[in-house]
Amino acid sequence: MVEIRLEQLAHAYRRGGAYALRPLDMTWRSGGTYALLGPSGCGKSTMLNIISGLIQPSEGRVLFDGRDVTALETGRRKIAQVFQVPVIYRSMTVGQNLGFPLVCQRLPAQTRRKRVEQIAERLGLGPMLHRPAHSLTADQKQLVSLGRGLVRDDVAAILLDEPLTVIDPQQKFDLRRILKEINAEFGVTMVLVTHDQTEAMTFAEEVVVMNMGEVVQSGSPRALFERPATRHVGSFIGAPAMNFLPADPMGPQVAVAGTGLAMPRPDATEGRFCLGFRPEHARLVREGATMSGIVTRIWFEGLDEILALDHPSGEVRLRAPAGIGLKPGDQAGFVLEDGALRLYRDDRLIA
Amino acid sequence: MRTLYLALKYLAVTLWSAFVIFPFLWMLSTSFKTQNAVTGGATWLPWLQFEPSLAGWRALFGGAGGVNIVKPYLNSVVVTGTASAIALVLGTLAAYGLSRFSFRAGPIRNGDITFFFISQRIMPPIVLAIPFFLMLRWLGLLDSLPGLILVYVAALMPIAVWVMVDFFNTIPRALDEMAWMDGCTPVTTFIRVILPNVLPGLVVAGMFCLIFGWNDFFFAFTLTFTKTQLLPVSIVALNSSVTPWWSLSAAAIVSVAPLAVLAFVVERFLASGGLKGAVR
Ligand SMILES: Nc1ncnc2c1ncn2[C@@H]1O[C@H](COP(=O)(O)OP(=O)(O)OP(=O)(O)O)[C@@H](O)[C@H]1O
Ligand SMILES: [Mg+2]
Repeated sequence: MVEIRLEQLAHAYRRGGAYALRPLDMTWRSGGTYALLGPSGCGKSTMLNIISGLIQPSEGRVLFDGRDVTALETGRRKIAQVFQVPVIYRSMTVGQNLGFPLVCQRLPAQTRRKRVEQIAERLGLGPMLHRPAHSLTADQKQLVSLGRGLVRDDVAAILLDEPLTVIDPQQKFDLRRILKEINAEFGVTMVLVTHDQTEAMTFAEEVVVMNMGEVVQSGSPRALFERPATRHVGSFIGAPAMNFLPADPMGPQVAVAGTGLAMPRPDATEGRFCLGFRPEHARLVREGATMSGIVTRIWFEGLDEILALDHPSGEVRLRAPAGIGLKPGDQAGFVLEDGALRLYRDDRLIA
Repeated sequence: MRTLYLALKYLAVTLWSAFVIFPFLWMLSTSFKTQNAVTGGATWLPWLQFEPSLAGWRALFGGAGGVNIVKPYLNSVVVTGTASAIALVLGTLAAYGLSRFSFRAGPIRNGDITFFFISQRIMPPIVLAIPFFLMLRWLGLLDSLPGLILVYVAALMPIAVWVMVDFFNTIPRALDEMAWMDGCTPVTTFIRVILPNVLPGLVVAGMFCLIFGWNDFFFAFTLTFTKTQLLPVSIVALNSSVTPWWSLSAAAIVSVAPLAVLAFVVERFLASGGLKGAVR
């Protein structure tokens, strides 16, 4: 219910020390679902804590609906955050936990009870309202944390910092569904931090990929899949990872030696080039292959098979329908779908 | 086997109880004795072995050769109670601050501040006697209840800080952050979210304060003259060239009584699980 804008935001934990978060600009529209995806230590939590006000950024501004809140204290930002380790008020019951934000707002007991019951119902916590909160399981505690965010009708955004790590896969799935439903129902902006790409891709409309304190790429799951901005994103997103092969300028093209993989040559040709394509965009052919190699390994994956082909320029992986009858040691060739090839210079996408 | 175990267990408990209770029973019996019953060899049972007398108890209310301890007793209750309460409140707040925020003044950090508090208890109290005396005289509070309370707060607060810092450190910071995020002010966070979790600490710290405060003789002795007396001092005043064992025993009983009650209540409280959920 609020648009969050980060302007030239950066953070270093020690003055003049290394950036935990490099300067970045970003806008999260009201009611959107976003995922922050990246390896451990890349600055995801730092970013969330800056938005919720637990950390003062060393540079830049945070704007909610255009209003500068950089200096505003946490309590006034109306942000709910769910941490990786469940945080609940151990001395209270589940109901008191859920109602606590309303106590802070000094709402009358009557209103509090009604809202708490509504939210508990919504999250399936109804029968537990009178249980002491410390007796809950980890995933129920996470639901309570989430519920404390939802119970206030003024909550601007819910920030989830790897809330699903402590939860087993089935409940993970359920909780993600509940989150989506709540987003649709209440229109509250949600930001989910994770280092699980499937989680990010299934949850968010827009995925922000981070690495080493830097936002590498931000876009729809489709865009990340189709046009990874760096080799890192290409390898990180998608399973199996994107194929990258070293390429060299040859005449009017940049090409991978010994194959038909080529892209038009850019104006500037210094730097390291490579060509990349998704395993999903390759199609096995008997004749007229763009590239061919020896099958080294085959994995079964439901209706598909993943083939690893060996070639002097490197190994590539392909996704093919199961039952094509190849076995390790066979020669195999493939062509790429139109427009599936990407050109990278110094590991960054240029075409 | 089981019966044997039970029998041994009860035997052990009984022996230990007798061992612990014996001095109290001995004190109780002595408090009713007269000079002859004390000095003429060991006597145990009233009426059978000696004629009980109330002289020892009368002495506590200003009877022959005694000192009236009623006023000192009330003074002690007021001073110990007030000072412990103040020390507990200030100490708990200080401990919360020390556990949650980073302070630095030059090379001095949180750990040093905590040590500074504890160091107050490490040095022998005699070191503080003269400074306290001079300060109280300067304030015009020598030989007065407020003066004593002030000194006892200073003496007891380190205990509270010391105990509470450890308790606060076991409470994850995320709990505070959660509460801020829920729209709670820092003060409400402290009172409603953090304090309930350190209840056992408060009980322990409070108990230590009361025990140390109640039993202190040194400051009570050095900082008062005649107007304001505390219990330990007036009990010592009961003594004379012929040790009045009977009145000293009676005085010992009344001065131990509140601590015994306190210990009993705290024990019940801890055993009843009144702290369930507060401890992880
Ligand atoms: N309180 C702190 N003081 C100093 N450095 C910190 C602090 N918190 C984090 N860092 C550093 O900042 C960088 C980013 O940390 P951050 O916690 O934001 O990573 P993250 O992406 O959330 O990682 P994870 O997936 O492990 O939670 C890391 O290099 C970390 O070592
Ligand atoms: Mg983190």
